[in-house]
Amino acid sequence: MFKNYIKVAFRSLNKNRTYAIINILGLALGLAVTILVFMFIKNETSYEKHWDGYERVYRTGIKASVMGQTMDAPVSPSPMAHTFRTEFTDVETATRIHTIKQEIMVRYEQTKVYIQKAVQADSTFFKVFDYEFVHGDPKTALIGENSIVLTEETAKKIFGDANPIGKIVKYDNREDFIVKAVVKEPKGHSHFQFDMFMSQNTVRNVWMSNGQYTYVKLKEGVDATTFLTKMRGNFMKKIEPDVEQFLGTTVAELFKGESYYEYQIMPLKDIHLHSKKEWEIQQNGNIMYIYVFIGIALLVILIAGINFMNLSTARAGKRAKEVGVRKVSGASKKMLVTQFLTESVIQSFIALFLAFILVELFLPGFNNILETELYLFNSHIGETVIFSLVVTLFYGLFAGSYPAFFLSSFQPITVLKGDITKTNGGALLRKILVITQFTASTVLIIGMIIIFKQISFLHNKDIGFKGDQVIVVPIQTDHMAKNFRNYKNIFLKNSNVLSATRASFYPGDTPNQNMYMLEGSKDQLPLWNMDVDYDFFKTLDIKMLDGRKFDREKESDSLPYFILNETAVKNLNIQNAVGRKMSKNQGSSDNFNYGNIIGVVKDFHIEGFNYEIRPMILTISNDLWFASFKIANKDMNATIDFLEAEWGKLESSHPFRYTFLDKKFGKLLRQQENFGTIFLFLTILAIIISAMGLYGLASYTAAQRTKEIGIRKVLGASVSEVMRMLTKDFIKLVFVANIFAWPITYLLAKNWLSNFSYQIDMPILPYVFSTLLALLIAVITVSFQAYQAAVSDPVEALKYE
Amino acid sequence: MIKLNELTKVYRTDELESTALNAISFEIKKGEFVSIMGPSGCGKSTLLNILGMLDKPESGSYEFIGNEVAHLKEKGRSDVRKKNIGFIFQNFNLIDELTVFENIELPLLYNKVPPSERKQRVNELMEQIGIAHRASHFPQQLSGGQQQRVAVARALITKPPLILADEPTGNLDSSHGNEVMELICDLHEAGTTIVMVTHSSHDASYSDRIINLLDGQIVSEKKNKLVKAAI
Repeated sequence: MFKNYIKVAFRSLNKNRTYAIINILGLALGLAVTILVFMFIKNETSYEKHWDGYERVYRTGIKASVMGQTMDAPVSPSPMAHTFRTEFTDVETATRIHTIKQEIMVRYEQTKVYIQKAVQADSTFFKVFDYEFVHGDPKTALIGENSIVLTEETAKKIFGDANPIGKIVKYDNREDFIVKAVVKEPKGHSHFQFDMFMSQNTVRNVWMSNGQYTYVKLKEGVDATTFLTKMRGNFMKKIEPDVEQFLGTTVAELFKGESYYEYQIMPLKDIHLHSKKEWEIQQNGNIMYIYVFIGIALLVILIAGINFMNLSTARAGKRAKEVGVRKVSGASKKMLVTQFLTESVIQSFIALFLAFILVELFLPGFNNILETELYLFNSHIGETVIFSLVVTLFYGLFAGSYPAFFLSSFQPITVLKGDITKTNGGALLRKILVITQFTASTVLIIGMIIIFKQISFLHNKDIGFKGDQVIVVPIQTDHMAKNFRNYKNIFLKNSNVLSATRASFYPGDTPNQNMYMLEGSKDQLPLWNMDVDYDFFKTLDIKMLDGRKFDREKESDSLPYFILNETAVKNLNIQNAVGRKMSKNQGSSDNFNYGNIIGVVKDFHIEGFNYEIRPMILTISNDLWFASFKIANKDMNATIDFLEAEWGKLESSHPFRYTFLDKKFGKLLRQQENFGTIFLFLTILAIIISAMGLYGLASYTAAQRTKEIGIRKVLGASVSEVMRMLTKDFIKLVFVANIFAWPITYLLAKNWLSNFSYQIDMPILPYVFSTLLALLIAVITVSFQAYQAAVSDPVEALKYE
Repeated sequence: MIKLNELTKVYRTDELESTALNAISFEIKKGEFVSIMGPSGCGKSTLLNILGMLDKPESGSYEFIGNEVAHLKEKGRSDVRKKNIGFIFQNFNLIDELTVFENIELPLLYNKVPPSERKQRVNELMEQIGIAHRASHFPQQLSGGQQQRVAVARALITKPPLILADEPTGNLDSSHGNEVMELICDLHEAGTTIVMVTHSSHDASYSDRIINLLDGQIVSEKKNKLVKAAI
């Protein structure tokens, strides 16, 4: 019996090639999108799962609000890991790491290698994160001072194929380190990636200074919530001495009212998608994108499925006679349903084959945009294939179910006389399906425009400084850091180097925070520090609002001078900040060194747009590790070559590395831009599939009304009148779709925009534009068929019957 | 074989109610060849549909081979139909996507006949009917007469005791029409009961009896042996 069904299915497809192509191609596109989204989600949700016992590992963090300023970061104090290991019986082990932001030069004999991702780690690090060891012993690799563990790739760069165990390398021309082990790159993804591990053994017993990342691995069966309560109880006692020493108050006093200081833990597996805190080790993913991509994939496949249902039921008349004959020949309804479901499943599997080809074609672009490395033929191929088969089967059964039941319910006596070809059965459902399809497409179009408007808004927002002609160069040696201010003139000799400066950090970094107080006030206020030199404001073209910039002629090195930003002045709630005195809390209540507030600077976005501008305090320093040069617009490459040459003479141990400041800043928007690009791609796909479906429906409708068109033309209807008659019903449906699309999009867009600290007001134009665009697409699609029908010879139409 | 008693069929729409068959009663014996004639709209196709259990009467009784079938559900009617009744239609109603062989084979498939037996029976019948040389062709490749012969073969393949024919020569020219009528007569002579709806007196002359309908009622019945003998 199945052989018969399969034969008929293929012959039927061959006979109706246009509809078969529309159906199968639409399905294939929908399936390709689903497979790509599945692969992406599989990749994103696979983070950390390759570590042994990962489900018992947690990263600690602190969420605090002190005197109106908030902190939410996965950082921890130096003694925390050790405390976990020695004072908690629920803990299997714990470790801490301290990331090194700067590039490190590692030298062995004549070979110099520059490491961007180095980390200092406790000796227990490899107990929590079980890297595979090529050489060395995980238990002892990081024990002892100046031990170093290299990844295989790093070891190869330094030592080639030689065994590096026991060899001594020089770290940044400062210290010798002994290579104790070599590890393979981890098999899976993690929220961190390191090339080199350096031992850290010293524990600083300060609980309110948080420069480490601590990971705790609980014993089997330990409840995390109970553990957290115990942890908080223990650690709040630990911070008491520091609160008294540095803040001059007690914990009870400090945290009464609205202030709080809360220790937290986050499951290791949740970090990549759910952690959006300050001071993340590297940029994490975003669970919101997972939800959005799932939503879009569902929408695209829904649209393709609707096409299938619509075209199948619309063309039911062509199969009606067959249904009648089969019933008369003895087929039961169940047999007919099985036959038609078999046909739709066959179409789905043909579409699946095409979908895999499309996935291979789309993957390079997809990887490029989302900065992933997804491959169809990887270790997950089995899961991908099983998922695809299940989805395809379900899809074939689901999309084919309505047409199957609709067709198999035809009564033989109605169809065998030929009456069914005029039937309008299923017309209401078809209208509902078209409306659903175009609602989904319109939601995507409006969403796409709003996303790009938001991204454009962020790109064009006044960031408070000019970065387009400024290059940032990290300083790598103490020597350069100490002497840079004397070397400036060497660089400024080139007239295309307009200005040179330094700062303690640049876009993408997070500044440090300290407590400050105004003279005459007992209140301490956390302010975010930025250290700069005298030419900072000039180089970056940052505007002053009050007072003056730092001036080497006017300032002495012994007294502190402060410049505040607008937000700091607002938070201090003072009029006329300039002229007031302020001091940093040095750690004891009688050690205040008051300095003058000499200026107020306009707010500038040094951290990107994920956070609102913090209250900042700027001070002069010589201990600054990021240089920047403003260069003239002409001969930029030659100017950079000049800087590189001169820099090389002064800091020969490290290569000259630079980034344009505006690009560094632009990178912070990259995740949103990538998201926007994929969204655009999927929206275009959805529109194509919807238009294909509408084209199919329109051609069917025109064929069905052939006799009516013939009669109307004989009676005097013009081509345009006939076209109007054929298109107006479809246009009405698309219009109704937009009525649904607007409120749905409004809610979704509002939700998405709320993720941004700086967001556009909800615009009205995208809604109007999308409605017009959807109508235009529908008109063009349907008009083509309508025109063909309208210009056909009436005689042919009347002979049709 | 067939016994109708006070059989009524009414068609209803929102605005109209029309009585297609009005309490008709008659019998058809096993092996008889009966023609049903009458003007358009007299109810002859409705009668044929009810005889073929493609439709249900409003009221009255229909006994088929001694069993009351008038108010059977669709499954019951389908079961009786597929074992006992073959249909021949005016517009042939072959499935375009199936070859001649596959079209004839179809009822055997639905009756779950094993593949080897199906092949044998279909080949034999095709030889008998004279279309074996077209076994792998599709209906679009055949003439009207050939298509109707395929339809006749399909109707016969399950060896049903009853054949219902609705204007079997309506779409054929006279020579092909005669061929088909000869075929039907051969079936009759072999013992098959045949009920045929027709407009054509010529075709009706092949039958044993002619029943005339008008406005859903039988207006006359006459035996036809003498007419046939004369031809």
